[in-house]
Amino acid sequence: MALMANALAVERASLRYGKFQALKDVTFSASQGQLITLLGPSGCGKTTLLKAIAGFMPLDSGRIDIFGRDMQGVPPEKRDTAMCFQSYALFPHLSVADNIGFGLRQRRLSAAEIATRVSSVAEQVGLSLQLQKLPGQLSGGQQQRVALARAMAVRPGVMLFDEPLSNLDAKLRDHVRMEIRALQREHGFTAVYVTHDQSEALAMSDLVIVMRAGVIEQMGRPEEIYRHPVNRFVADFIGTANIMPVRILSRDQARGEYHVTCPLGQAVIRSATPPVGDHLYACWRPEDTVVATDSGNDNRFTFKVSARTFLGSLCDLSVSPTEDASVCYRIQTHGSTPVSEGQTVDVVIPPDTIRFLDEAIA
Amino acid sequence: MTKLLFSRNDVYRYLTVLLAVLVFLIFLALPFAMAVLWSLVDPSHPWAYPAVLPPVLSLRRWAEIWTTSALPQALYNSYALAACVSAVTLLLAVPTAYAFGRMEFTGKSTAQMMTLIPLIIPGFVSAIFFSALLIQLGVYSRFAGIVIGHTVSLLPYAIRLLTVSFTMVRQDLVDAARDLGASPLTVFRTAYLPVLKPGLLASLIIVFILSIEEFAISYIVGAPDFVTVPTILYSYLGYNFIRPNAAVVSLILVVPNVVLMLIAERLLKSADPAVVTGKG
Amino acid sequence: MTINNALKAYLLLIPGLLPIVAFMSLVVGMAVSQSIGFFNFAGDDHFSLLFWQQMLTQDQFWRVFFYSARIAVVSAVLSVMLAYPVALWLRRPFPGSDLISAMIKAPILVHGLVAAFLFVNFISFQGFLNVALVHLGLIARPIRMQNDPYGIGVVVLQVWKNMPFAFLIIVGSVRAIGDDILDAARDLGAGRLARLRRVILPLTLRSLQASLILIFIGTAGDYSFQAVAGPININSMSQFMLRIQMDNAAHGWNEAAVVAVMLMVLSLFGSLAVAGLMQFAVRRAGR
Repeated sequence: MALMANALAVERASLRYGKFQALKDVTFSASQGQLITLLGPSGCGKTTLLKAIAGFMPLDSGRIDIFGRDMQGVPPEKRDTAMCFQSYALFPHLSVADNIGFGLRQRRLSAAEIATRVSSVAEQVGLSLQLQKLPGQLSGGQQQRVALARAMAVRPGVMLFDEPLSNLDAKLRDHVRMEIRALQREHGFTAVYVTHDQSEALAMSDLVIVMRAGVIEQMGRPEEIYRHPVNRFVADFIGTANIMPVRILSRDQARGEYHVTCPLGQAVIRSATPPVGDHLYACWRPEDTVVATDSGNDNRFTFKVSARTFLGSLCDLSVSPTEDASVCYRIQTHGSTPVSEGQTVDVVIPPDTIRFLDEAIA
Repeated sequence: MTKLLFSRNDVYRYLTVLLAVLVFLIFLALPFAMAVLWSLVDPSHPWAYPAVLPPVLSLRRWAEIWTTSALPQALYNSYALAACVSAVTLLLAVPTAYAFGRMEFTGKSTAQMMTLIPLIIPGFVSAIFFSALLIQLGVYSRFAGIVIGHTVSLLPYAIRLLTVSFTMVRQDLVDAARDLGASPLTVFRTAYLPVLKPGLLASLIIVFILSIEEFAISYIVGAPDFVTVPTILYSYLGYNFIRPNAAVVSLILVVPNVVLMLIAERLLKSADPAVVTGKG
Repeated sequence: MTINNALKAYLLLIPGLLPIVAFMSLVVGMAVSQSIGFFNFAGDDHFSLLFWQQMLTQDQFWRVFFYSARIAVVSAVLSVMLAYPVALWLRRPFPGSDLISAMIKAPILVHGLVAAFLFVNFISFQGFLNVALVHLGLIARPIRMQNDPYGIGVVVLQVWKNMPFAFLIIVGSVRAIGDDILDAARDLGAGRLARLRRVILPLTLRSLQASLILIFIGTAGDYSFQAVAGPININSMSQFMLRIQMDNAAHGWNEAAVVAVMLMVLSLFGSLAVAGLMQFAVRRAGR
């Protein structure tokens, strides 16, 4: 064991409901002050994992340590965690102040201390004027803040967020997201944040854990996950990716250059890590493409535009190789690029933006 | 950590369910079994202490009550009353339930509260002073008197049940039917009737049962010579307790009503809009 | 348009609401007027507080009044106290829970008089209870349990009949409490007892009060359970009212009317008082 214990350490956690394997051998850890997101589609086990950390669901095997203490058999009420629920789960019969102070009263703080802490937390989340109201009298955004304040008030070792923004409208969501991140940085609490929204995960986390079917698919910093997805699932789930099978024709390991054949024709891929085999998947992002201006570039391909979506500063194009209309890729150009549907466009995909996935084709 | 085949929780749960069944048997099944047993005691071989079981069992008691007591008349009265009461009550309740279920107006919640008044006036107070009122008004028909009394005291139930049914009618279906040019009759048949039917039937049955079971008004207004099943049962209880007769009448009163009530409950469950319209 | 609509709504209310309001105000009006000397069946109509004075100075009346009040309070509180833990237990469905709910609700389908008969039959000399006790060797010979002087039989019957109602009302509100709310309380450090005191009880207070009120009113006005299984030496309010109306020839109606008004007063204020006390108790528990 390390001398400095992690704030949270999950080791080979497994859990099944009947025949459904909700978590399988999940291992990760978070150091003090980190914000970790658990990202994945619904049913991937991210909420189950959060509830296991909170103590609502006992693990079948594996262990969870919070600040170096094994949580086996410790009920939720005795764990140093506080959760922000997706439904907010505010107590409808208690005022905002009593909601925020609920956990403090359970911890037997004096009335005066509770009052001071409640008002300071309420001020931080901008609820000072709402303290005497009942949750039913608040807007969705305000209710969300009460849930946040209530969890923050107990100053937990680990804060748990279960899709806290999913019931807010888009504009408010961005705002509250930044606020949560700012509060988390300011107070330095460790947080585990569950979401199915990849942009949320990329925007606010120190570490992103992508899950599927109860298993961790990839774990890393947001840039790493985005730049170097390990498989088709992660590549596709994070942002937009064009995924294609490639077969390696020649390798230049020293320079990190690989010539491949793919549905586009022949291409060059520059990669620091060598590919897993000779026949595998590779991906590239729409925004990495460049409309060719002169001749003589590597990886220059001619596409036929099948659909064009104008997005303001950008333009989203659905394209197919001229000789094969059955495959479809997405590329992005400047909004001002003069292309229209049915035309062809010459595009360069820079060799270092195409990435091998760790997924060989049998 | 391995999971046992039965966790300790399962065992506790199993035991508590078993305990509940046991309590049920002692508090309901056993007394009923006793009633059945008593109704089968042969009139010429009384069941007396210290015999643990009746000496002779026969259906003679049933036959005797049927031929010698006012039970046939009471049954006729009860069922005739119940039929009138449920028809009248439903007719009166439908318009009001429609207003409660499908319209918004000022004073709606007050009006809804007011329909509940009969539930908070003690039954014998309304029975006795309703009979005083009938005397003052010179109404001497016991049948009519009881029909009025029952109708008023059972209206709250019918209004409540039908209000729920009317709220379950989906406005989008009504609008769609009208948008497609359906006549009012077609709108009613396609959008209203399928949802309302179970509720209507259920309230009909429930009012029918409650009318048969009603005791205070039937007893006071009907006294002394207009008998219903509950008043006959009452006469066998209390001071001149004739146990085998009471057992017979109890079974006659309970069994059909339980059957009807189970039907009504099934109807109310099927009235779920998701079932009727096939959409959640 | 909207005025038209409202008018239509009010017209639709007439068939259902008018009979109720008319009937009830006539009946209650009849009771109140007769208690102060109007609509006399014997003698002239004139205002008089004589009947009130006669009734309220009778010891017997007050014994009856407090007897009914006591039975009502005890029955209402016992029914709710029995129903509440069961409702909590059945909050989440589990194998067998449907069966248990169905068994709990069964007494609703049994007519009050039939229940009274079943009960009397059960505890009488020749009843199951006595036979069982004798055979178990607990008593030497059957004992008389019918019409016990404390009204225990009546309370047993009332609880038997009313507990399912309390259960139905309470289980609805208990089930309406979301799992998330309880999880949130747990997560914030509330143990089993704290969750009950500070979350579950306050959130189910309204249904507790509703069931207390309904059972109190029903029990205070009881006639049949009292007549069949109650003590011989004391009447319930309804029984007393009916007896006075029949026995006291001349002014029976007027005096019965006084009892009727007092019964309504008892129902109204007694049930509100019980509900108020419940609110106080729940608030206290939540501290």
